[in-house]
Amino acid sequence: MTPRYPAISLAALLVPALLLASLMLGDQHVDIAALLKGEATAEARIIVLDLRLPRALMALLAGMALGIAGTIAQAVMRNPLAEPGILGINAGAAFAGSIVIVGFTGLSVTVLPWAGFAGATMMAAAVFLLSWRKGTSSARIVLIGIGLGAFASAGTSVMIAFANISDVQRLMIWLAGSIYDANWDKIRLLLAWLIVPIALVCLFYRQIDLIRFGDDVAASLGQRVNLVRAGMILLCTAISGATVTVAGLIGFVGLIAPHLARRMVGPGHALLIPASALVGGLLLMAADLVGRTIIAPVQLPAGIVTALIGAPFLAYLLWGRRHVPA
Amino acid sequence: MFQHDNEATSGLVLKNLTLAYDNATIVEGLDLSIPQRTFTVLLGRNGSGKSTVLKACVGLLRPKSGTVLLDDRPLSQFGARERARRIALLPQGPVAPEGLSVLDLVRQGRYPHRTLLARWSPLDDEACDEALELTRMADLRERPLENLSGGQRQRAWIAMALAQQTDILLLDEPTTFLDLAHQAEVMDLITTLVKHGKKTIVAVLHDINQAARHANHIVMFKAGKLVSQGAPNDVMRRETIRNVFDIDPEIIHDQKTNAKFILV
Repeated sequence: MTPRYPAISLAALLVPALLLASLMLGDQHVDIAALLKGEATAEARIIVLDLRLPRALMALLAGMALGIAGTIAQAVMRNPLAEPGILGINAGAAFAGSIVIVGFTGLSVTVLPWAGFAGATMMAAAVFLLSWRKGTSSARIVLIGIGLGAFASAGTSVMIAFANISDVQRLMIWLAGSIYDANWDKIRLLLAWLIVPIALVCLFYRQIDLIRFGDDVAASLGQRVNLVRAGMILLCTAISGATVTVAGLIGFVGLIAPHLARRMVGPGHALLIPASALVGGLLLMAADLVGRTIIAPVQLPAGIVTALIGAPFLAYLLWGRRHVPA
Repeated sequence: MFQHDNEATSGLVLKNLTLAYDNATIVEGLDLSIPQRTFTVLLGRNGSGKSTVLKACVGLLRPKSGTVLLDDRPLSQFGARERARRIALLPQGPVAPEGLSVLDLVRQGRYPHRTLLARWSPLDDEACDEALELTRMADLRERPLENLSGGQRQRAWIAMALAQQTDILLLDEPTTFLDLAHQAEVMDLITTLVKHGKKTIVAVLHDINQAARHANHIVMFKAGKLVSQGAPNDVMRRETIRNVFDIDPEIIHDQKTNAKFILV
């Protein structure tokens, strides 16, 4: 039997392949077969089970979350170039992080992710509230999101200007998005955060299908558009905020994954949501693997690798849409 | 022919309705009963409030004062889905997300009939098939919307509204931007739906002659107020049209179709 969606079936097969590659490749080449037979050295066991495996799984998980968050953002904003960052999530997280680093020197680095989450959530809430005028509109949310995002970025720049160099470097590494310090605790934390919002997204996929049609059509079909939009923005914020918290700011996965997934399974969200998750997970896992092997022993943060792939992809999207009326 | 006693048997009734966007009042003190199982056309110049009235009829716009009644019950008391099972609105120039097929679009029409966990049922399939047949879109069901002509796309949207299986269907400028042949198709479809489908259809049209030819009932608006309503031949008067449209037409009574037309 030929699968109905060959591309996505192939992508699903790529997950274990890439996972295996992530476990084997690196400074130390590890023989997985030996490890499975219990013949590996203690050192190899540590490298694989405590370092590479959690890191690969974290990349998979964070990428899946970003893919889903991007799918929601594009549907709710009715804009194929939307991503969770439009809700001000990234800018808010960066601003809060910079405040913590500059304003509270001496505070432990572990506070950073939590500050980031708080900043992300507050920004998303501010964007939503400011765009409320007897209901919301997608265009208003996009515009206010961009405006507040620019404002927060300016704030971050000001904070950085007053910080000392080593603090700035630490901030920049976190901002660039990296999963180098993944561990099982973080994975458990992320999983716990994601499971409910993602389950809700899957449960309400029909609402996401419908809200893309615009307020008038959706409402005349009986959708409570403002309620659904608020709910979806909340879920999108929860999902991407949690991801920012553990993995830092990883751009472009939320933008690219839904596009690739749409080519594989079409526009219906029943399939698009899982497909975007799969593609997002693959992208980030690949980006992290490339980031830590391509110029080893130097490690490129995964966020930089995704940006290197993502920026040309964005250009390609714009080029492909140059004849689409705005 | 059109029977005026239908007006008494409820359906969609607007009572002293005032509609406004923020502070700009669009429609003021409108009383209107939509006759049931007929084709009503709303006429008037741009900005006279026709589309706004349609929006209020599906609760897209909350009245500033007055009420919309559906079978003697205020529309505001209906749940969103419950209302959408009774009244469908096809807005002006709707835009579908990219990459949808005709069938994808039509299936959305089933939204108000499905609960959160309900699976797609044979009833849903039936409704979609029927809608596709009526609009003669059955052969094009797998086609992407982007590849359709303007007329086909408009029929696909009407099919979506039909899949909603409401007794009342509101169409906001369903023929604008269509060539004459496609306009005629849409008009024939409306006539069929009213005659054989027992539907109540209300449409905003710009072509006065089209309205005169096909409507059972015409309502004319000027600056948010109802100026004239009745059977086409009763409202197609020179003074009325001069007043509503600011044009000075010739009225021609065509004996063959017994319809009145205007020459501008």
